[in-house]
Amino acid sequence: MRRLLFLGATLILAGVVAVALRQPAPSTAPAMGQESATAELRSRRGALVDQVVFTREDEPGRVTGLIEAGTHQVFTQGISNPGIFRRLRDSLATGYDLSYGTSSELTLNPAGPELADGTLNPFHVPAIREALNRLVDRDYIAQELYGGLAEPRFLPLSTAFPDYARLAAVARELELRYAHDPDAAREAIHREMAALGARLREGVWHYENEPVRLIVLIRTEDQRRQVGDYAANLLQELGFVVERRYRTAEEASRIWIATDPRAGRWHLYTGGWISIVIQRDQAEVFSFYYTPRGRAEPLWQAYEPAPEFDELADRLQRRDYRNWEERQAMMARALELAMQDSSRIWLVDQLNASARAADVEVAVDLAGGLAGSALWPYTLRYADRVGGRMVFGTPGLLTEPWNPVSGSNWIFDQMIMRATQDPVALPDPFTGLYRPQRIERAAVTVQEDVTIGRTLDWLSVSTAEEIVVPEAAWIDWDGEAGRFVSVGEAHDAPVTARTRVRVRYDEELFAQRWHDGSPLSLADFVLPWILAFERADEASRLYDPAYLPTFEVFQRHFRGWHIVSRDPLVIEVYSDQIFPDAETLVANRAPAPQPWHALALGIFAERQGELAFSSNKADRRRVDWMSLVAGPSVPILARHLARARERTASPFPGVFDELLEEDEIAARYRALADWHAQRGHFWIGNGPFLLDSVHPVAGSLVLERFRDFPDPADKWLGFARPAIPELDLDGPLVTALGTTDEGDAATFRLAVTLEGEPYPPAAIDRVQFLLFDGRGTLVERGAAEPRDDGHWRIAPSPAALAGLGVGANRLEVAVTSHRVALPAFASHVFATVPPGGTEASP
Amino acid sequence: MRARQAAAVTEPSARRGGWRDLRRLLLYTVKRLLALFVTVLVGVYLTILIANMGGQVDELRRVQIRSEAAEAVRADPAFQDMPAEERNALIERQVALEVERLRLDEPFLVRSVDYLQQALRLDLGRAEQMHSDRGSRDVYDIIVERLPATLLLFGTANLLVFFVSVFVALFLSRRYGSALDRSVVALAPTSAAPGWFYGIFLILVFAFVAPLLPAGGMVAVPPPEDGWAYGASVVRHMLLPVAAMFLSQIFISIYSWRTFFLIHSSEDYVEMARAKGLPSQLIERRYILRPTLSPIVTSFLLMLIGLWSGAIILEQVFNWPGLGSLLFQAIGYRDTPVIIGGVVIFAYLLAATVFLLDILYALLDPRVRLEGGQR
Repeated sequence: MRRLLFLGATLILAGVVAVALRQPAPSTAPAMGQESATAELRSRRGALVDQVVFTREDEPGRVTGLIEAGTHQVFTQGISNPGIFRRLRDSLATGYDLSYGTSSELTLNPAGPELADGTLNPFHVPAIREALNRLVDRDYIAQELYGGLAEPRFLPLSTAFPDYARLAAVARELELRYAHDPDAAREAIHREMAALGARLREGVWHYENEPVRLIVLIRTEDQRRQVGDYAANLLQELGFVVERRYRTAEEASRIWIATDPRAGRWHLYTGGWISIVIQRDQAEVFSFYYTPRGRAEPLWQAYEPAPEFDELADRLQRRDYRNWEERQAMMARALELAMQDSSRIWLVDQLNASARAADVEVAVDLAGGLAGSALWPYTLRYADRVGGRMVFGTPGLLTEPWNPVSGSNWIFDQMIMRATQDPVALPDPFTGLYRPQRIERAAVTVQEDVTIGRTLDWLSVSTAEEIVVPEAAWIDWDGEAGRFVSVGEAHDAPVTARTRVRVRYDEELFAQRWHDGSPLSLADFVLPWILAFERADEASRLYDPAYLPTFEVFQRHFRGWHIVSRDPLVIEVYSDQIFPDAETLVANRAPAPQPWHALALGIFAERQGELAFSSNKADRRRVDWMSLVAGPSVPILARHLARARERTASPFPGVFDELLEEDEIAARYRALADWHAQRGHFWIGNGPFLLDSVHPVAGSLVLERFRDFPDPADKWLGFARPAIPELDLDGPLVTALGTTDEGDAATFRLAVTLEGEPYPPAAIDRVQFLLFDGRGTLVERGAAEPRDDGHWRIAPSPAALAGLGVGANRLEVAVTSHRVALPAFASHVFATVPPGGTEASP
Repeated sequence: MRARQAAAVTEPSARRGGWRDLRRLLLYTVKRLLALFVTVLVGVYLTILIANMGGQVDELRRVQIRSEAAEAVRADPAFQDMPAEERNALIERQVALEVERLRLDEPFLVRSVDYLQQALRLDLGRAEQMHSDRGSRDVYDIIVERLPATLLLFGTANLLVFFVSVFVALFLSRRYGSALDRSVVALAPTSAAPGWFYGIFLILVFAFVAPLLPAGGMVAVPPPEDGWAYGASVVRHMLLPVAAMFLSQIFISIYSWRTFFLIHSSEDYVEMARAKGLPSQLIERRYILRPTLSPIVTSFLLMLIGLWSGAIILEQVFNWPGLGSLLFQAIGYRDTPVIIGGVVIFAYLLAATVFLLDILYALLDPRVRLEGGQR
């Protein structure tokens, strides 16, 4: 009997192991990749892969192994750990794309000079703060502490964003001025400490007979731990008594944000900031980082910027300048003043590596990485074939409920949602400039006093003395009557606006289909607008107090919108809000469609008090936060769909009667019911991928290529890789003073290339040079002259060369491109000798 | 007649004895229930206090809410050209809404009593930050959704460990000093390493070096539609975590049981049974297993309720969607209702188990009687 039992158990165990070890059957998903053919690529519509599977994976250490094992092809989480990055870089099976967006700095406590307990805070003195810029070695931090996954940063501007490129020459000059010079830093700090009344005794600074003690608040989660130790060591070497306090984000925030700096609970904090989109206008950074206007917390209230800096920062934030040139001059001066203020010591721009298999290509945003890329669904592909399946590892999946009004805004959820939607304009991942997707053209009109720039030619910009909003334009919503309120009804006097954006959508717009097969209609553009007003109307059952503050801000600048033509669709939007780029203005103003029939179900459910679009309202009402993809919301929405089908109900009958026929409404609900029956959820969009299935507990989700997507598959392929210029600067190593004619030794040659090919001159924005003498003084700033085949000639003026004097000099070149926000730099060191000196040199 | 009289005297006295026993039993039950209730009460309130760091978490949350609101407003281009005062006013309004939602405007003491009341009523309430994977905010849904995965994985592993170790231990107790016995004793210290430690090695070997098994997850991605294929996929994904847990626990478990059985094997009555020449199986069953049944059952039941908590790191390593990783997330979010929900269910289960064990002891072991009973 026992033997039988033993045998049985063994057999069962063997069976389990056999089942477990059996490789899973080939996927029922579309066959993996087909042979690449140009013709196939050209004939294909929509996404370049057939299926994308997202699965939860939050351990960066396994990324390389999983790609090598072939189970995953792409990871959405950026890798910033140097050790993991080295493993990724060294593997033959993997590739990666780098993105910026995270920066590291030292936040200094500006209170003082004496704190509440009578101790001295040296960081109250701007000159001491400024000297810290020269004390820290940013190259060491970037290369050693961050293992090469960082770029030195001196200024409040991100080195990867357009403002830095636009001001590249100014930035370079400041960077050299504040280059690592510990002796100069020590000298300045000693001088200022003495002026404060402190004395250096036996290598330790004393104030009022007590050692000067500094508390360094060190974040522990990332490389900032090493940065904090490094900064603490430097301060210790200078003669300060340093107390290191290691804290997590949460613990540290209670100290550096929540306490009054005068209380002296910290002196230096290893700060960090994240931006997930390319900020094309960083003019507000001065106000935010250096003035009490930045935030209401005690730290910001302790800032005392110099009056000139304060005024400049304020004006830049308010965009109070007459033209672009004035803005640039203000920015340049503000940068200089920011370095003198130095309430923060900027250290590095951290790089994040987005991991992928070596044979995968995808557009990765320069700031947001893969997760922040708007173009990933349009560019994702296997390099050598069309079609196939990819598995993405992502740390978060369905973190919060998905709904199109106020659903999950987690970056990894948003990334997946983006694949199912097709915005009317898409940002270039390398410049942040918007390009049209469903817009044929746009016309921007601004008042004469408004400064706005245009870079691309899909839109026009003009000025007008006065922009009057047409009386027929809609400016408000009457919830009770269920109709829009026109400008003429709402105002007796004519209404004017600072901007008018006229958007003409594609001719074929209404031929496009939602994922359930329904064609787009005007109602898809109108319903989101109605909802925007309804949710702010206290009398409405859709009223959401959490939404009100945002709406009030919107209403402050909104001046109306007007449907000029229904087919082709032309809409005008009037507003007082300005963006420095006309492209951004259009992208922010142009109405975007949402499937009204899916939204309607949510509206019905919220009206009945069963679900709520926003988290805040859901908690107030103690109902579920609406999810169109899974969970208890889905059966509720299904019930409302069945009821709506019976009654052919529209959410706002008055307006919808004008826009839709009854059979159109019925057809929409029918299509949605079929969709729900087939896929089990209500998430529909019009993007290149549709949401095929959701497996919340198992932690996976499947996107399928949307076969009815209208665009050619290669439409956005040109944006798959950043076109960062590669520079090769060449010139004489020794030149004699006085030899300045063209073709002689005082000219320099610059080759600008991209992957070995000449960089197209039309794509180059500017090639600027800076000439520094042996003392590091800027002698001349100028522009290079274009030559053939991506070559440029740099010829400093004879006067400047003559002014260099004898010694070692440095030529710095900054190249900015229209194709990528990241500027490229090159430098060349050469010596100047007395006339005829070159002949004597060995 | 005398006999009838004696019987008549014995009957009321037996009835009285029965009533007395019942009264004692009731009293004992009430006392035990009361003691257990107080234990649960104290345990849960301590959890509430600890999870909120005595109310200090409120301050953390306020700072966090303010920072998040400030960054959200700053990141939105629509708010960028707002005057600083208006922008800060907007942030303040957003903060106030969130503070109100989380009831941070009420004293922590009041909220802690509310938490306690709800917990004791087993009204798990709503999470403050988290959602179930399907999108529900009810703590009940959040916990129940993860429960099957935990029960499946930890149930399989622990049952396997328990039964294998008990039977192997019994087997070894008969072969004291044999090579196998000495090997188990030698391997017992390997259990000092936790399951996740073995898990990392197993993943390295079987998922990366020789990729035979998946590195993590509960089922293939996307999950197979066919039920059998789904089941096979789950088994495949379970193999490494079960092996990790098995390896980390089996030797120490065998060693403990073996020592336990050895002690009981040297009792006089066992020696006597051997001397009488009874078959070894009968000795094992009747003279060793039966008297030791109480501690075996205790261990078994405690093991079963131990499944509730899962294993935080092991689940993280294997990416297993169970209660352990849920608790980990809840602590990260400082989502008090979810933490309390997990603890209160555990506390109730533990209390019920202890109570059940008290009853079972009396049934299983005739030597155990209520206070004042005959010995």
